Amino acid sequence: MESLVSEAFVEPDCSSPPPFLEGEGDLAGLYQKHSRAVYYLALRFLANPHKAEDVTHDVFLKAYRKWEQFRGESSARTWLYRITINHCCNLQRSWHERNLGPVEESTWENLPSHAESPLRVLETKELGQRIQSALDGLSAEYRLLLLLVADEELSYDEVGALTEQSADAVRGKLHRARKAFATIFQKSA
Amino acid sequence: MKHRTKSIPLEQAQQQANVQQSEQETTRQFANAEEMLRYDAAQMTVPAAVAKRLQQSMGQVAAPKRSWWRRLFSK
Repeated sequence: MESLVSEAFVEPDCSSPPPFLEGEGDLAGLYQKHSRAVYYLALRFLANPHKAEDVTHDVFLKAYRKWEQFRGESSARTWLYRITINHCCNLQRSWHERNLGPVEESTWENLPSHAESPLRVLETKELGQRIQSALDGLSAEYRLLLLLVADEELSYDEVGALTEQSADAVRGKLHRARKAFATIFQKSA
Repeated sequence: MKHRTKSIPLEQAQQQANVQQSEQETTRQFANAEEMLRYDAAQMTVPAAVAKRLQQSMGQVAAPKRSWWRRLFSK
């Protein structure tokens, strides 16, 4: 059973439902479709691969428990993102998190990637590090905004709803966030 | 011998193509931050450990019961 589970999740584009969610109906598809987005948001927002794993686990466990409360008024992606953002913000606010030092370099070395050649793995890793540095240099608000807008499944209205502001405000701040990101990113070259 | 002289340019061409492809990959250009983040996200894989942990956690949690009104209207 264990080997089946890991095989199913190494390849993100697999079409069969994850074995552990068999019989759970919509939840299987939910994990398959959205787990990468949830993991990525948590990873780049918190800048900590271990925490991102914890958050992804907790978000989907909460979704499993609260599935009946999902009224379908928003998209499943938005619902999961809302849980993710709340969880990440709670983590950031906690005393433990505020007093914890930066993540060790070796933690980033083990990040799973599906780049096909060693050169691509290296390129992806280096780019990932520069992206993380640039995001870390932004305010939490700009960081979250950029990460959400980068998801093509979300509209400006949905990003606005998730960040509690209007779509126009999102557009305005996005311009400044892009500029700040580009400045920090270029400095890291 | 003839075969060998013919195969060298082919190998070289293949190598050159590989180098060109590598160069194109390393000089990837992005229009804006979101495009870069989208590319970065696409390279990411959720660690298999998450699914294993989730499986264990879900085994410890009782399956959520359907509310009475959902049961009623689904009949």
